[in-house]
Amino acid sequence: MVDIYTKPKISVAQIVLLFSILVLVVVVGIPVILIFLTAFFEDGKLNIPGFVQILKDPDTYQALWNSLVIAFGTTLVSTTVGVFFAWLVARTDLPFKKTMKALFLVPFMLPSFIGALAWKVLLSPRAGYINKFLMALLGLENAPIDIMSMGGIIVIESMYLFPFVFLQVESALERMDPTLEESARISGAGLLTITRKITLPLVLPSILSGALLVALYSLAHFGVPAILGTEKGIYNIPTKIYERIYSSGGSFRAIRVGTILSTILVISAALILKAQDLLLKKGKYQIIAGKSMRPMLLKLRALRTPLLIVSILYIGITVILPTVTIFLVGGLKTYGLSFELKNLTWANYLEIFRWKMTKDAIWNSVYLSLGAALVTMLAGTMISYVIVKSRPRGKFILELLGVLPFSLPGTVIALGVILTWSGRFGINIYNTPWIIFVAYVARYMAFSLKSNSAALQQVSDSLEEASRACGATHFQTLKNIVLPLIRPGMISAFFLIFLPALRELTTSVLLYGPTTRTIGVAIYALNEDGETVRAAALASVALIIILVGETSIRNFLARLQKQE
Amino acid sequence: MKKQVPLWVAILMAITSMLYAGGSKESAAPAQGEKKEKLMVYTSMKEVLIGELRDAFVKKHPNISFDYYSAGAGKIMAKIAAERQSKQLVCDVIWTSEIPDFIAMKKEGILEPYISPEAKNVVSPVSDPEGYFTAARLGTLGITYNTSKVKNPPKTWQDLLKPEWKGGFAIANPALSGTAMVSIGLIVNTFGWDYIEKLKANGARMGQGSGQVVDDTASGDLLGCIGVDYITIDKIKKGAPLAIVFPPEMLVIPSPVAIFKGTPNLQAAKKFVDFLLSKEGQTIIANSYTLPSRPDVPIVKDVGLVEAKDAVARAMKVDYNKLMAEKQAVIDKFQQIMQGK
Repeated sequence: MVDIYTKPKISVAQIVLLFSILVLVVVVGIPVILIFLTAFFEDGKLNIPGFVQILKDPDTYQALWNSLVIAFGTTLVSTTVGVFFAWLVARTDLPFKKTMKALFLVPFMLPSFIGALAWKVLLSPRAGYINKFLMALLGLENAPIDIMSMGGIIVIESMYLFPFVFLQVESALERMDPTLEESARISGAGLLTITRKITLPLVLPSILSGALLVALYSLAHFGVPAILGTEKGIYNIPTKIYERIYSSGGSFRAIRVGTILSTILVISAALILKAQDLLLKKGKYQIIAGKSMRPMLLKLRALRTPLLIVSILYIGITVILPTVTIFLVGGLKTYGLSFELKNLTWANYLEIFRWKMTKDAIWNSVYLSLGAALVTMLAGTMISYVIVKSRPRGKFILELLGVLPFSLPGTVIALGVILTWSGRFGINIYNTPWIIFVAYVARYMAFSLKSNSAALQQVSDSLEEASRACGATHFQTLKNIVLPLIRPGMISAFFLIFLPALRELTTSVLLYGPTTRTIGVAIYALNEDGETVRAAALASVALIIILVGETSIRNFLARLQKQE
Repeated sequence: MKKQVPLWVAILMAITSMLYAGGSKESAAPAQGEKKEKLMVYTSMKEVLIGELRDAFVKKHPNISFDYYSAGAGKIMAKIAAERQSKQLVCDVIWTSEIPDFIAMKKEGILEPYISPEAKNVVSPVSDPEGYFTAARLGTLGITYNTSKVKNPPKTWQDLLKPEWKGGFAIANPALSGTAMVSIGLIVNTFGWDYIEKLKANGARMGQGSGQVVDDTASGDLLGCIGVDYITIDKIKKGAPLAIVFPPEMLVIPSPVAIFKGTPNLQAAKKFVDFLLSKEGQTIIANSYTLPSRPDVPIVKDVGLVEAKDAVARAMKVDYNKLMAEKQAVIDKFQQIMQGK
């Protein structure tokens, strides 16, 4: 660093730094601090007994316990399923691999609460179509499967979350250096030993990071427990917070209970993150090399076709069956009729486009997720740039604030946003789309930071220095060198935010106003009000929008990559 | 695959433009010369009822941009409480079935008194002479049951305690649904908590909203539930395997409408209340299979509804002021019993 140009650089950097800190403080920091303050302080006094008392309440205690059991069960099931299918695709001679790999990612597209809605129709104890069928077939008195139970919630969440694990493990298995396994084999180790001592330790970090995502997600997931659990009195923390806030007329006491439960969620999430850290530190795992060699494929022989059939059946049962069910229910004249042609109608679908509530919901979701994706992407780029590239003092605050969103569940963000933006600081955006917008930015900032800093880390400092040495200003360097290089990272950040935001439910369900329902909220509210067929029709429309969005985006990204 | 991109994009754009076109049409219709007014109604009436009222009202008053938010009474009160806390009340008119809420709001002084010229025609078991709220409908609730599963239709409330109803009956969550809240108040006042305990002992459960229990009954998930008249009959008309019976002791719950004090859209709000209570509005309400609050508007025959006069005579009674004071306790106790705590 030469003195002559460090001076101006630092001043520009400092402005950017300050601005970045400001954005993170306003969007993430203040809401979190307010949550902790509200939880621990009452009327300006520290109130630990009050805190403990709420935790001791069997009602809240049970919700906390359920949240943990659901998170643990879902993580276990999705990891098992994810690792198995990843191994099948990456390390065996399963036919139609490419197609199968793409198929295993399809459950991602189906929002889990829509899946839950479909499974309730199929497997509710008395009326579920499959249950009725099985009862008739086997001559049973009672329904064989009760989806509205803890087990049901865990299975349904796993169905739609396992791709997190699949994606990570599959790519690790593909990138793994095969010589390690081969040398073990040459030394006389059997398949079991190799798997246990070589393969598993090597992919463990990927398994863990996938499992971590599933755990964090299911710990604070609203949709599936809300649809399958509440009616049977099964609450987890987000559904309990929702119930408390709505049954008490939005009183401050309910919000306070919510904040106390939220702190527990944040602490649990932080513990999960910490546990992953500790587990990963135990061994050295940098043995995954960028080798181009393909690992040996296990020959499935006689099992080849049966396993292919199992995989296809799995996709068929978890994706196609619920999707078809949702479309059919959306076409019923009224819920409870059988799926016969005479009972089907287009009326519900037409109503979706005529009814102001549903039209508003679709429109709100589209523009809120587009806007949030754009703003979060840009802010994330700026903040990542400061974190990765510049080294001013005070950077650690930024890093700390940047990590925070990772461990903030959607419900917590919603409560924090309510506390911050309903007039306390002179700005009141409650009941407007802006409050949902702010919440989305806070919720998805982590995605943007992750994607952008990964891209920035690959840009060598020497490129920037070269540009500055040639006389370009800082701004010119950013515009001509850095931005073009990290553009793919920015674009992927945009879509990583846009698509989940489009179907967001956990956060919006606590923030929506009469005219600011989102697609997720509208479907949920319709279902809760007993407009099951309309809920299904809107869910079908949402699925089409998501499918169209995903497909066109994937094609767009593929073309973009080809150009570069 | 690549060739399809424009097609996908085109479909996406078509959908968005459909939404957009629909949205802009409404905002692009300010009447000539007349002042554009706005009105927001929070109601627990379902789409089948409020939807038609909206269409007729907007047709009559094209210069009022009318919007409503339909949800359970519990949610509506939560929304209003939150809005008041942030000093940003969005709604001008409230129309639900949770009478205790109206009495409480009147006491709090947040309602605007308005005696509509139409109000003299209204007959209701609960009325407010000062005009803080006026009944716009007389909701009746009965036992809704699934006709393919229940061979012996129940006749009395006591029938629900028979073994054939084991594990098959539900009442909506009184924290969400106003009709459920008032129904429980009426039942407890008539038969005592003992009856609720016996229902629970026979496996009855607490559902979600007042619409969902009816849907769950239609699907066969429940054998029966306490069902709201128009929600049940609307589904029967659409072919659902349902029927509704009204036991001798009837649940008759007026749904009052009220205007919030300080609304900037007072004129529009008054016009809406007038419209609801007018013969035209009441006819729409009656034709949606519930009881109008005006005796001069005929009810729909042959769908199982009970004439208003008859219904009021058979209605269970309760002191609504007392019920207001006990509201939270009633909800808590009911939830406690139903969730077995």
